[in-house]
Order: sequence, then structure tokens, then C-alpha cells
Amino acid sequence: MQINNIDGLILPKKSEEEFLKINFDSLFSYDFANKETYEFDIMGLETVVDEEKYQSVLFDISRSFDNKQKIITINKNIAEPIFLIHKLKENETIFTNSLKIKVAKDIKASIVEVFVNSCQNSFYAVNRKIELEENASLEYVKIQDINASNSMIFSLAVNQKNSSNLEISNFEYGDAFVINSFENILNNEFANYELNGLVKLFSEATTSNLIKTIHNEKSSNSNINYKHSLKDSSKAVFKAKSIVNETALFSKAFQSCNTILLSDDATIFAQPHLEILIDELEASHGTTTGTLSKEQLLYLQSRGISKDEAYEMLLSAFENKIVDNIKDEIIKEFIKTYKKDKYV
Amino acid sequence: MKKNTILKIEDLKVSINDKEILKGLDLEIKEGEIHVLMGTNGTGKSTLVKTLSAHYDCVVTQGKITYKNKDLLEMDVSTRANEGIFMSFQSPIEVAGVNNSYFLKTAMNAKRTYAGLAEIDAMEFLKLLKEETGKFNIDRKLLQRDLNDGFSGGEKKRNELIQLLMLQPDLIMLDEIDSGLDVDAIKTVANVINSMLDGKKSILMITHYDRLLELIKPDFVHILNDGKIVKTGDYSLALELDEKGYEAIGIKDANK
Repeated sequence: MQINNIDGLILPKKSEEEFLKINFDSLFSYDFANKETYEFDIMGLETVVDEEKYQSVLFDISRSFDNKQKIITINKNIAEPIFLIHKLKENETIFTNSLKIKVAKDIKASIVEVFVNSCQNSFYAVNRKIELEENASLEYVKIQDINASNSMIFSLAVNQKNSSNLEISNFEYGDAFVINSFENILNNEFANYELNGLVKLFSEATTSNLIKTIHNEKSSNSNINYKHSLKDSSKAVFKAKSIVNETALFSKAFQSCNTILLSDDATIFAQPHLEILIDELEASHGTTTGTLSKEQLLYLQSRGISKDEAYEMLLSAFENKIVDNIKDEIIKEFIKTYKKDKYV
Repeated sequence: MKKNTILKIEDLKVSINDKEILKGLDLEIKEGEIHVLMGTNGTGKSTLVKTLSAHYDCVVTQGKITYKNKDLLEMDVSTRANEGIFMSFQSPIEVAGVNNSYFLKTAMNAKRTYAGLAEIDAMEFLKLLKEETGKFNIDRKLLQRDLNDGFSGGEKKRNELIQLLMLQPDLIMLDEIDSGLDVDAIKTVANVINSMLDGKKSILMITHYDRLLELIKPDFVHILNDGKIVKTGDYSLALELDEKGYEAIGIKDANK
């Protein structure tokens, strides 16, 4: 079955401004042999039909195969993070998975999702909805480590009530064709939203991050902070749109995208975009693209450290800035010691 | 007792951005000797020490450099360091995200591995660090921070001294280590350097000021002008220069 041939499904097009620089042709025209809903190994999860209207058409891809959504409701504080490990094994298969994460009022929680595979020529369409009640706090960490010949579209939408806090850390390690879509419409006061990402690509990996954040209410904060380190012929797309509407007085909207290109053939397309409709706010964006500092490399080598080791030290220093943002020490340690071999 | 030559530079020509800076420089340093380079700005002093460290800006267009009887120009940056060359930078670069202590231990172990010795572990490293810095009352808290990150000028220079003490190089090159330091800090620098003078270690120092030379008495003072050494003397030459200035001792600034 081809995604191109699904009746009634409106697919993203490369010509559309949102999806510029992303080539879906191979994915949408591929003839997959099977489809399957990836089920969690968790008993008693509520299941609903996902009828929500999302900003991005990417949500509809998963829904066109299976419109059911599982719900995890967290209504008491949990001391340790919840780990959800996705291991894709079947070849030539379209996998789908849809999950809503609800965190109750005044509750603090953390979730880690890991996406790994041992299959070839498969595609994973993942939908996520995060709902935080008043004063709830969620630290959500995702690791994508899908290998070449496979694809993944991860779509996440957020609804935050007053004074809630959402911190997302997104780690892209695989060399597949991956698109992430993050949308958050901040309709409540004092909501805080942080999205950090480390995109560490090699070979012919292609990873796109499409981020849309809309501030509609006073004193809402967003901070989008991405780092890319790109080797070989890898390609990254980073498009972050932050809109601060007239009703969002005293809000803060920050964006930062730093990229290190580690080969002549690595490519980044970075498009930060701020739309500001008021004067009473703080907002900034900064995008840098470069290589490792020659001067820093020289300094390390001048003390006897080999060129390769100096290179790795500086690269780790750059990448660890995203890991260092993680608050939960168990999650931080998990990220630092993560190895795909443990799972496949 | 005959001293071995540790460094011999013959007819060295170096360019930076296609501009010739060193124009046929000769210099010989023996074990245990202290050499000072003086000269007006732009004469090639920093270019010389940077060339010896294999700085990427410095292109050697002619000449020979022999270090410990080996061709220095065949060695890359880290090999030169592991062979015992240490350059103290005028303005050490900040390296955020690299812990200072981790960096120094890695550098020490790189040198030990190069010499065929076993690496030291964290406990031994800390013990050695405490011993060496304790002798000179140097604050070890710098080691807990990221490498030079947010350091004041004085802290950066102190960090260079810690590296010197721990790496124990054979040829120590100091590029204006005294600039921006107060009287007490200069005394600490002098104490550290003097403590390392064991008759085998050699120093090549760039400075404009007499204060450091009063404390580290040089064996040779070389005056550079227009990319070459034009005058060599002992400490009295530095004193004469300090008193009379370059023109009065017959050195015309080539940049004017």
C-alpha cells in the first residue's frame, strides 16, 4: 500500500511553505507490504477516537490508518520517569501509534520515549498529544534512533493550562528520514514551554523539525533551543515559527539554533521566524552555522591531546549543552549512557 | 659541563596571510637556558613562538628547526606538546563545556601514553594537583570550572601556570605572561618558573617589561627587528633597553 493512494488524505507538499526543503516523494510512493498499530505493553489504558483538529496535516497520516488514541493519565506524583520503548521489528510495514498524555493539576511527572528498530523499509507514524492541567509539570524526553531505509513522522501537539510547565528534550540519533512536528498554542497565562533538541546526524540521514508556537495569553513563555551536529551527507531542516498575538502581553518567546557542519556535504536549512504583534514582551532569535573552533582545537592539541580526541571533546561540549538542560538526574544519566545495542 | 642544544632554528622564514613576518631568523637554545625575546610590536616575536607550536596561521616558507635532534617541522601540534614544548598563550581561548580538570588529566595522560607510561587515575591526579598548586598557593577552584570559561585575565594566566606545573614541559615558551598582572601575580609566575629550572628545562620568553626579568634572570636577551634577531646580549641589554629605548641602542622600528 502507498500513502499516496489513501483516499481523502491530504498530504504535505514540498511546494507548501511549511514543508519547503522536505522531499516526501520516496516515503509517500513506497509500496509497503503491511500495516500495524504498535501497541504498548501497558494494561488498562483508556482508548478513544482522536477527533481533534490539529494545525499540522501530518497528524492525519497516522489517523488515516488507525484513528484510535490511547490515554495515559498521571494524577499523582511519580518519583521516577516512565519509560516507553518502541522497538520496530517488521520489514516493509507502516506502523502507527497515537498517545495522549494527561497530567493532572499540581502533579509533576517525567516520561522518556525511545524509538529504535531492527527492520528495513518501514515507516512509523507517531501522534502525541500532551495536556497539562493547572500548575502541572511534565519533562518529556524523546530519543529517535531509527536507521537508514526507514522513516518516521512524529507529530506532537500541546495544550497547557495556567502556570503549567512543559520541558521537552528531543534527541535525534538515527540516519533515517525523519520529520518532527511540534505545535503548541499557549492559551493560558503563565504557561512555560521549553523545547530543546539535539540533532546528531551522519551518513545520509535527513531530519526535519517543524515547530510552531503561538502565544495567545499574557505572560506565557516559550524557549526553542536546538543544536545540530551534522556529518557526512546528512541534512537537517529547522523551521521554528513563534507568533505572539495582541492578547499575549508580557510574554517571552525565544529561539536559538546552533549548527556545526562537520563535512563539506552536510547541509542545514534553518528558518527562524518570529511574528510579534505587541511591544510589551521579550523575544529573540539567533541562528549560527559553523565548524568547530580552530582556535579551541589548537589549544587542546597544544597540550598534547590528539586531534581526534580534541575534536570529540569539543563536539561533546557542544552537544552536552542540550543534555545539561534535563532536570531529572535519572533521565540525564539515561541519555548519557544510552546505547542502541541495549534494545536491538 | 657541555650543555646539549634543545632547539636550533636556522634561516627561518614564516609568513602569515601571505605576508612575510620572519625573514631568516637564527636561534639556538641549550638545555637549562633562559632566553628573552624583545622588540617593538610587529617584529615577529609572537610569530616565532606560534610557529614553534605549529599554529595554523604560520606558514614556514624556508628554514629548519631542530628540536631534541628531531625535525620539528615534521611534528604536528600534539606531538610537539608531547615531546615537551609548551606555549603559554597571550590570551588563552575559552572552551565552554570542557571541564578544566578533565582537560588537564586528559593532557597529562596523553603525554604519559606518548612516553610509554601508564595513565594516572583520578585519585593520583588530584593528589599531584594538590601538591603542586599547594607549593605556590594557587587556587585549585579554577579546576572545577570549564576551561578558561569566564576566567579573568589573571585567572587565565594562573591556569596556564597550573598546566605548566602538571605537564612539566622541557621547552617553556611564555608569550607576554606578565601582561595585565599585578605585582603579586608576577611574583607567583616567577616563583613557578624558577621552581622548574632544574638545569635541563629551557625558557623562551616574550616580554616588554623589566619587572619579570628582575625575578627570572635571563641568560640571553635577543632583540627582534623586521623579522630577524638583530642584537643579542645578556640581562644588561634589557636594562639598557629599558633605560634608553630602542632607537637609542640603534634599533630603528621597521614599521615606521
